[in-house]
Amino acid sequence: MEEKRLFTVSSNPLVRTDRDTTRIMLDVIIALVPALAVGVYQFGVKVLLLLAVSVFSCVFFEWGYRKLMKKSRSVGDLSAVVTGFLLTCVLPSDATWWMCVIGAFFAIVVVKQLYGGIGKNFLNPALAGRAFLTAAYAAFMTSWAIPTTLGATVVDASTMATPLSYLKAGTAMPEYFNYGSLFLGGIPGSMGEVSSLAILVGAAYLLWRKVITWRIPTAFIGTVAVLCLIFGGEGYGRLDWTVYNLLSGGLLLGAFFMATDYSTSPVTLKGQLIFGAGCGALTVLIRYFGSYPEGVSYAILIMNCCAWAVDRVTRPRQFGVSAEDVKAAKSAKKEAKKKAKEAASA
Amino acid sequence: MNLKQQFKEGLITNNPVLVQRIGMCSTMAITTSLFNGIGMGLSVLIILTCCNVAISALRKAIPNDIRLAIFVVVIAGFVTIVDLLLQAFIPALSASLGVFIPLIVVNCIIIGRAEAFCQHEPIGPSFFDGIFQGFGYTVVLVLMCLIRELLGSGTFGTGIFEIVDGALRVSFDGSAAGIRIFPEQFGATILIMPFGGFLTLASLLAAMQYALRKSAEKKEAAERAAKVEVVKEAANNA
Amino acid sequence: MTATKKAPNQIIRLALILFVVSAITSGVLGLVNYFTKDIIAEREREKTAAAYQAVLPYDGEYETVAFDEDAWETVNAISRAGDEGWVVELTFSGAQSSITAAFGVSAPDYSITGASVIDHAETSGLGAKITEPEFTDSFIGQTEGMAVTKDGGTVDSITAATISSRAMANAANTAIAAVKALG
Repeated sequence: MEEKRLFTVSSNPLVRTDRDTTRIMLDVIIALVPALAVGVYQFGVKVLLLLAVSVFSCVFFEWGYRKLMKKSRSVGDLSAVVTGFLLTCVLPSDATWWMCVIGAFFAIVVVKQLYGGIGKNFLNPALAGRAFLTAAYAAFMTSWAIPTTLGATVVDASTMATPLSYLKAGTAMPEYFNYGSLFLGGIPGSMGEVSSLAILVGAAYLLWRKVITWRIPTAFIGTVAVLCLIFGGEGYGRLDWTVYNLLSGGLLLGAFFMATDYSTSPVTLKGQLIFGAGCGALTVLIRYFGSYPEGVSYAILIMNCCAWAVDRVTRPRQFGVSAEDVKAAKSAKKEAKKKAKEAASA
Repeated sequence: MNLKQQFKEGLITNNPVLVQRIGMCSTMAITTSLFNGIGMGLSVLIILTCCNVAISALRKAIPNDIRLAIFVVVIAGFVTIVDLLLQAFIPALSASLGVFIPLIVVNCIIIGRAEAFCQHEPIGPSFFDGIFQGFGYTVVLVLMCLIRELLGSGTFGTGIFEIVDGALRVSFDGSAAGIRIFPEQFGATILIMPFGGFLTLASLLAAMQYALRKSAEKKEAAERAAKVEVVKEAANNA
Repeated sequence: MTATKKAPNQIIRLALILFVVSAITSGVLGLVNYFTKDIIAEREREKTAAAYQAVLPYDGEYETVAFDEDAWETVNAISRAGDEGWVVELTFSGAQSSITAAFGVSAPDYSITGASVIDHAETSGLGAKITEPEFTDSFIGQTEGMAVTKDGGTVDSITAATISSRAMANAANTAIAAVKALG
């Protein structure tokens, strides 16, 4: 029998969906699985161990802090688990388990919970954790283990240079770094960033699930591509330079999984484009002129700090207010200020 | 004001760095080794005490309108004297603290105490105020140094203590390498860097606030309990 | 408005008091300076002499030689140590401060015989490690074209203090070049 009710009368919220924070976070975790799977394949079971330590410590610190401060429980929303996953993704496999614990502490307690917990932090916790560890343990954080697929090629060493360091030095890449190996993940690097393919698969899932939108990643990656094409690099063809820059380092991981973090990126549509472009420009700037070969994490952290300003500038006009009205209001405000100043000086 | 109370104020309840929150710049900048911390702390203590006494002695002669100018002249004078003496007799400390000794001129603790205390108080209390406030500052510096040195480079007492052939050696010229607690590679370098200064000071401030609030709450509770007791007694008597 | 204006004699009184306080302070400072000036200068000389001896041991007098000061801006002084070689003193910018360092350059093959930092204000615990023998000893025997290990060279770069280490390596190159330019 067909129900003939046209309207359901109820108080708000009027739209109901099964998509809550927990579901979104679960989607992000699912999307990160391919990238980390490549990491496990390339760097061994150690990756799983570090992942377990990171996730466990993130969840523990989240639970512990909320408990200690007598705040509501928030472990159930899985956001701490996501931070643990992301933290593992941006650490090199030479990181040690205690570094994961320290990084998790900094990410969850200092960056996230001290500012009020999920949605209130202004920096991406995982990236801030990475930045802290980089500054604290530079030696561990710049040591890149040889991936399994290159085990036969590079024999007389335990660590090797990443494609980015070749780009930075302007020297030609060895043969085993080519478009194919960069795309599939046959390169050294952080545990979750080596395979562009795996990251793109995860990103496609997130886009399909509408967890992220195209704006920030497109603006981010697009800006890097355009700037690299325009300026080129020493010792490389323009196209080579651009493709290598896009496929190496944490660019794709950062663009799809970090820069799109809800609480640390702008909410306005125009703002998201500006945010992405800013991340891209800063990445290129750091890669060209910085003392570190990689700049994605710092670029995103810097833009995180600017997100509020971007939001303010790009705030859309109120419905029913024309551009002229806004202008008039602005000039009136200026006039009033001027008058107040004159009155004060008189 | 008695000595005990002044001592408690300088060290805890009115600690220059952790409660008055002045002089934080140098606190964060130089606390990378115990030698620096103690050297800076004692320099400030000496300068502060001298300035306090001088300003307190002059307090009746200083016209209100130009008091700040006179404070600055007096402070700059003492700072330069200490700077010259350090250069001459403890060159290692002078080299290690570098520009931060001349910068004591603009250390808010000294001008702050002159403004808040010495221009109203006689020489005696001003002298002890200088000693105790300077001591409070030194204690915070030493705490910061211990934390940052241990976590940042895994050593204890760089510049002062050293273990040579199994025996403890104490030096006052800053040449000692420090006692290694754990291998250097485990030290979080960032704590030695300026960021670590902010982080450590913030943690200490938070801990201090927590402790002060807890003790205030306790006091209040005790007072309330005492009051209730009095009321109860009155009721019983009635 | 008139309330804040002081009578002329009031202003003179204030100026006088300020003058007296300043005069006394300057007097005391002058006195302290008079007594410490020689000691400080002696300390500086000792420090420089020790640095010179450390980078290029020599029994005789170090003899100052003239060089083209416009071409070598960072070079403070070049001293000749007989037939042994030269000591070059330079002041250049490190990561946070100016570094003054001396390098010994041997006469026959223009290689570095030693390096010593005379004065600096780099971050203690990081850049300040340029003063440690572990770092300065890595210069010994090097010739022109030095670079730190992080840049693919042979001079040890100090972890987390690449800029300070790099500045030292560049200065060592300058020292050799300046000596070569003497002819």
